[in-house]
Amino acid sequence: MDDYVITVLSNIGMISFIALSAYLLLTTGEISFGQQAYFGLGAYAAGAATAMFELPIWTAILIGSSVAGLMAMVVGALTLRLSGLYFSIATLAFAEMVRLILLIVKVQVEVDGEMVGPDGANGFHDIRWMFERDISLMEFMFIIYGLLALVLIAFLWMERSRLGSVFRMLGSDSLLAEMQGLDTVRYRILAAGLAGGIAGIGGALYAHFTTYVEPQFFNVMLGVHALAYGLIGGLGTAFGPLIGVAIDLGFLEAVRFIQGYRMIVFGGLVAVLLIVMPRGILDEVRVHRLKTLLTRRSHAGARGP
Amino acid sequence: MIDFVQNTVDGIMFGSSYALLAVGFTIIFGVMRRLNLAYGATIMLGAYAGTWLHVHYQVHVLIVALVILASTVLTGIYVERLCFRAIRRDAALASMVSSFVIWMQLEEVAIHILPERTYSFPSLFAAEPIELGAFLIRPEHVTMLVLAVVMMGALHLFVHHTRHGLALRAMSENPRAASYMGVNTGWIMLLSFALVSLVGGVAGCAILATNEQITPYFGLWATFKGLIAMMLGGMGSLPGAILGGLLLGVAEAHSQWYLGNAYKDLSAYILLFAILVLRPGGLMGRRILSREEFASRRV
Repeated sequence: MDDYVITVLSNIGMISFIALSAYLLLTTGEISFGQQAYFGLGAYAAGAATAMFELPIWTAILIGSSVAGLMAMVVGALTLRLSGLYFSIATLAFAEMVRLILLIVKVQVEVDGEMVGPDGANGFHDIRWMFERDISLMEFMFIIYGLLALVLIAFLWMERSRLGSVFRMLGSDSLLAEMQGLDTVRYRILAAGLAGGIAGIGGALYAHFTTYVEPQFFNVMLGVHALAYGLIGGLGTAFGPLIGVAIDLGFLEAVRFIQGYRMIVFGGLVAVLLIVMPRGILDEVRVHRLKTLLTRRSHAGARGP
Repeated sequence: MIDFVQNTVDGIMFGSSYALLAVGFTIIFGVMRRLNLAYGATIMLGAYAGTWLHVHYQVHVLIVALVILASTVLTGIYVERLCFRAIRRDAALASMVSSFVIWMQLEEVAIHILPERTYSFPSLFAAEPIELGAFLIRPEHVTMLVLAVVMMGALHLFVHHTRHGLALRAMSENPRAASYMGVNTGWIMLLSFALVSLVGGVAGCAILATNEQITPYFGLWATFKGLIAMMLGGMGSLPGAILGGLLLGVAEAHSQWYLGNAYKDLSAYILLFAILVLRPGGLMGRRILSREEFASRRV
């Protein structure tokens, strides 16, 4: 594979984290316009860990994910009383606050005779872990997809577990969930924290893949795209957001020849798709049908001669 | 003290156009219960059509303004047909995402109409700032305020004193009950989209004539200024939208003056976040029912 294909695939992998993060909140019935904040916090925290304090990459990813997750829990606790569009706009306001503060913050330390660290609007340069360790793009892509696979397995486990049912129940009727004796406050904060942590992993990887991050990348467009991916791919399974990301980034790369008309075509196609499938390609009904189809097959195979 | 008053006056005048944008969002939200993310892009595309005419043919400003209004209304109807009418009523999320991708589409269309990054936008008239004692008042700001007041007055008359306005209010109260009472809900949806596009077109003209330039980012800017102003006041309330717009304008003017440009947007977002956390429902929105009330209402 050449570097171009690897870069596209890596981008699909990294953006999938933030799409999964928005998807997790969608299953609990919350529309967040602010997941880009946690992606950005993860990127800055993890970048600082390797570039400024020379910590190993795994520690850095853990730090990025925890910083993002904890911050998301704080915001989740503050926005507990909000729902619907009020929640969406509060998360948007928080994310823009983070972005605008990162545009001002300047914290640099000297490493090997050079100043390294976030430098306000100039961004955060020289997150050179890949070069220092001589990691190839291909190897880094395996790290990305390895972590993505772990997160996906966790999602699939969760969707079969009680926690997944609780989240879906919160999403369809939080009042009913509360009447069943569920501690909705705890579950909402937990969902916010998990979603923030997942976005943080993506950000941590992104910072090391591009070696350079700037606050402008984590603007509201990233957050709204993340939401759109879940809805295009389908809200029935954690594979939905991945399909959404792959369709968007894959399609835009595949049709480079109509440069300049790509969004006109793509926008129209997605609008038509949403008319036909308002809950995405793999929505709950289709996922259920697929599952019964697959299990019936395997049962038939087991019983057959 | 003089600075303080000057900033407040400037803020109120510029805030009046935020209020118009917020009114656009709040009407659509009231009638549809869905968020139209393409609102800013609709205005931007309309303004691009007018600017194209201005750049290529140097026509009179009033003709430019008329073209902007007409093309904004047409674009608004396109968005309504594709993202709202065609999508099931209960799929609010699909409408929102659909309007988002159409926003991206409109932005690319705008770039094809005028490929450079920025274009100059005709100012309504070239006039010197008016001096009133120690204060300076820009004539563009006065025009903006006057236009906003006229539009608000016209909207108020329309919503509260016409049959269509009554139908619009009935729909925002309860769409199903309204349709049982013989309200043609499809027509009211189309009408409200055309109406808010017109309001947005006027706001767009006023803002762009003040800035004297236009970029594709105007769509993003208008969408989020309108959304913030609406949320500050509370969704679904026309007085709330006006209050929110003015508050946003004043807050921005003061923070820009006292803290600098870098803090202008930051303080607006901090204000928004604080108000939403402390008063869920905005300043003048319908009070959010407590859980007990909500539960007893459902029983």
